[in-house]
Amino acid sequence: MSSLETRLLAAHAAGDTLAQVALYTEAADTAATQGAAGFFLTQAYIYALDLGHNDTAVLRTRLADMGRENRA
Amino acid sequence: MSDADLSAVRAPIQQARGLPNAHYNDDSVYAEEKQTLLYNQWAGLAVAADVPEPGDAVPVNFLNIPLLLIRDRKSEVRVFQNTCRHRGMILVDTPRKIEGAIRCPYHSWCYSTDGKLVSTPHVGGPGQNTHDGIDRALLGLVEVRSHIWRDVVWINLSGEAPEFEHAMADVISRWAEFDKPLHHGGANSRFQLELNCNWKLAVENYCESYHLPWVHPGLNSYSRLEDHYHIEQPGAFSGQGTWVYRQLTGEDGATFADFEDLSDKWDKAAEYIAVYPNVLFGVHRDHAFVILLHPNGPGQTSEHIHIYYSEAETDADLRARNTEQWKQVFAEDVFVVEGMQQGRNAPGFDGGRFSPVMDGPTHLFHDWVAEHVQRNRAHSRAAE
Repeated sequence: MSSLETRLLAAHAAGDTLAQVALYTEAADTAATQGAAGFFLTQAYIYALDLGHNDTAVLRTRLADMGRENRA
Repeated sequence: MSDADLSAVRAPIQQARGLPNAHYNDDSVYAEEKQTLLYNQWAGLAVAADVPEPGDAVPVNFLNIPLLLIRDRKSEVRVFQNTCRHRGMILVDTPRKIEGAIRCPYHSWCYSTDGKLVSTPHVGGPGQNTHDGIDRALLGLVEVRSHIWRDVVWINLSGEAPEFEHAMADVISRWAEFDKPLHHGGANSRFQLELNCNWKLAVENYCESYHLPWVHPGLNSYSRLEDHYHIEQPGAFSGQGTWVYRQLTGEDGATFADFEDLSDKWDKAAEYIAVYPNVLFGVHRDHAFVILLHPNGPGQTSEHIHIYYSEAETDADLRARNTEQWKQVFAEDVFVVEGMQQGRNAPGFDGGRFSPVMDGPTHLFHDWVAEHVQRNRAHSRAAE
């Protein structure tokens, strides 16, 4: 399997928003720091919001729990 | 431009002159009219049929203002300025379905379909999506006042016009019988014409029947000039009617279904009304149409035509024939409105003289224009 970064770049190049939600979530889950996790979660959340993705609420709650987004 | 020129326009039709040339080809008068005749009034923007389902979004440039027509999640049709509250980026540049949120393509600020600002990614630094200085409640999309009547999405850009039902009370009342569900005929019942003329010339030509025998000779065989009557509502609308409307019939004698419960008058009557400023309507027992005029400068106008029926399902061939028939009629008018535009480059043209008998509806429109421009100039002088 190619690296996460490679897959993310490919998803961006293809405009594959659905993949971006999954890949940025994966990046957040494996991030080394809270700061990096917050960044990647934000990316995942925004693409989810764009799509009306089922994970939107969960991602928002995770960000809110970290003090990085308002609660719904 | 002096007020005296407009006083001549507002004289009784027997003495009146038409609007001066500058009202058709001068940039400053165009800007003045844009404000007073279009921003300050209820103007036709689009049709609700352009956004049939929740989430449908269509960018529309109107008077060079980027607007976004959208049907929100609750199925309400709304109009917003199509501009992100962050850096002023255009939000939607092509018609599409908003699945979740309207996401700005620049920094991804996101708006709900009812215009609320719902996310501001990284606004407080990487991964920090809130900041005390960013109050989302104050940064929703700028909504334009809108109202739907006869499927037309009317907008009042100034936000200061009277309530739509009040402003349009006379025409709503006149056509109360036609206050029935309208079904857009679909893709082959919409078309667009680009005209090299000022938008007002399209109104002026539309609302009079005087030109019919010369410009639309095909109508002479059954719809003669004497079969038409004027429709005149000062300050609101004008147009023409006919007593001899003949339904389109298929080879098997089929016709479009009638709108329900119309009075006998409409068995053969049809009416064509220009609702000031920029919406041209036609009603018949079995179909209706609307023409939305989009001014694109002093000498450029787009006509957006939509045809409607009383039922959702109509015969495709008959519908196509009807579209073709109207397309031909409207195309026949193009050389006239473009010719009048060219004619107004002659400095000696004084606005023209009206037929006291035949040009009443056109003069009413000129009078409406002149009245509003005069009033605007008086306000400007008072403000100074």
